[in-house]
Amino acid sequence: MASYQADQLKEQGNAAFRNGEYLEAEALYTQAVQKYSRNPLIYTNRANVRLKLQQWDGVVNDCSKSIEITGANAQNHKAWYVLAQGQLGLHHPNEALTSALTAYDQVLHPQPTAKISAKDLETFSAFVLKCKKAKFAARDLGRLRRQGDLRAELETMLETQRQRDLDEVTTQLRRSQLGNIEASERSQEITTTLDDKITSLRTVFAAADPANHKAREVPDYVIDMITFEPMHDPVMTKNGHSYERATIYEHLKRSPTDPLTRDPLTIRDLRPNFGLRAACEAFWDSGASEWIADWS
Amino acid sequence: MAGMSGKRLQKELAKIQGVLPPGISLVSAEDLREWQMDLIVPDNPIYPPDEEYRLRFHFSANYPIEAPEVVFMLLSNPERKIPMHPHIYSNGIICLDLLDKQGWSPVHNVESVCISIQSMLASNTKAERPPGDAEFVRSNRSRPRDINFLYHDPTV
Repeated sequence: MASYQADQLKEQGNAAFRNGEYLEAEALYTQAVQKYSRNPLIYTNRANVRLKLQQWDGVVNDCSKSIEITGANAQNHKAWYVLAQGQLGLHHPNEALTSALTAYDQVLHPQPTAKISAKDLETFSAFVLKCKKAKFAARDLGRLRRQGDLRAELETMLETQRQRDLDEVTTQLRRSQLGNIEASERSQEITTTLDDKITSLRTVFAAADPANHKAREVPDYVIDMITFEPMHDPVMTKNGHSYERATIYEHLKRSPTDPLTRDPLTIRDLRPNFGLRAACEAFWDSGASEWIADWS
Repeated sequence: MAGMSGKRLQKELAKIQGVLPPGISLVSAEDLREWQMDLIVPDNPIYPPDEEYRLRFHFSANYPIEAPEVVFMLLSNPERKIPMHPHIYSNGIICLDLLDKQGWSPVHNVESVCISIQSMLASNTKAERPPGDAEFVRSNRSRPRDINFLYHDPTV
């Protein structure tokens, strides 16, 4: 009985979410879990709303609760994906990457009864890449700072300023001094301005000291020929070329042919390319993100 | 996925502002989703060396998984005509297997499409329009990607 009422409230919460009424949706989901606290979907949905409200701690708590209910090894890819986004919001890119990889793995090897959306693999794959970039950017910046690198120090200062500005927006949002759309626009503006400043900074340093600050070449073998992005789960075709798994899956959905030769090709013909995957990992490890000229 | 086309187009734009093959130049790409390129055809008397042709590229959110829409533009200032070719209609629509669902591959890019079109023109010997050109131009309402061309003349 209680779980039925909880479901009703969850549906109302979903409707509010679709209408963009995020505070309303959060309140409804909260009422729902008070009626019945063992439905993992309600926690996942509330976490999703909290992403919009930029309440990162709340996101992590709710996702953790949802995963606790289903069990850490059970199918719950949406919770892992939302968790990854929350962890990224909290600037914990290592944890975000682990969560993102779990979500990706769960849609790649789903339980038979799992409900996967057609776009999930592509979305989760792109998010894994985003977390990787965040993780290695943070790590490389930290290392440079410890070495006394001036550019790294200045970048860190700019990042701190950005975080202060974004936190200000979050506070205003919570105090209802800002609407959702406005908050989202301001956050976007803050991020873009900061990205531009960092690009300018790097350009200036490169001009002043080209030997030490020139852009790293990204080797071709790391890059997916279709998206032009670095790969994290490369798969190989019969003729020896490799592509990012999610990308070639998307291509094969529309045209079951090899992108280079146009011979027939299906997902079953693809093989994981562990050697290339290791080479891509090694490339990240080598401090390549230091000069993310064309990667951001 | 909007994300995929955005990143890919940004990178293509960066590359294309470098070195391009002879006879191909970027006119504009202010809107990342719509580019214009100018094309000159070398060594073919049908196409005078000082006559430039304008191509319009339109990209969907699913580029490069989905082919771009590529047509010739008729302009008066600057002057740009539609080149005469048995596979090019007088409204600028191009009949090329590489541009449709079956023939497109996501490893192609703007530069390779331009090269293919340039080469299609360079090797052409018939200065004519496709059969049924007038009727097609008058009655066609479909977007180029939705037209099912029958490629019955592989010699051109």
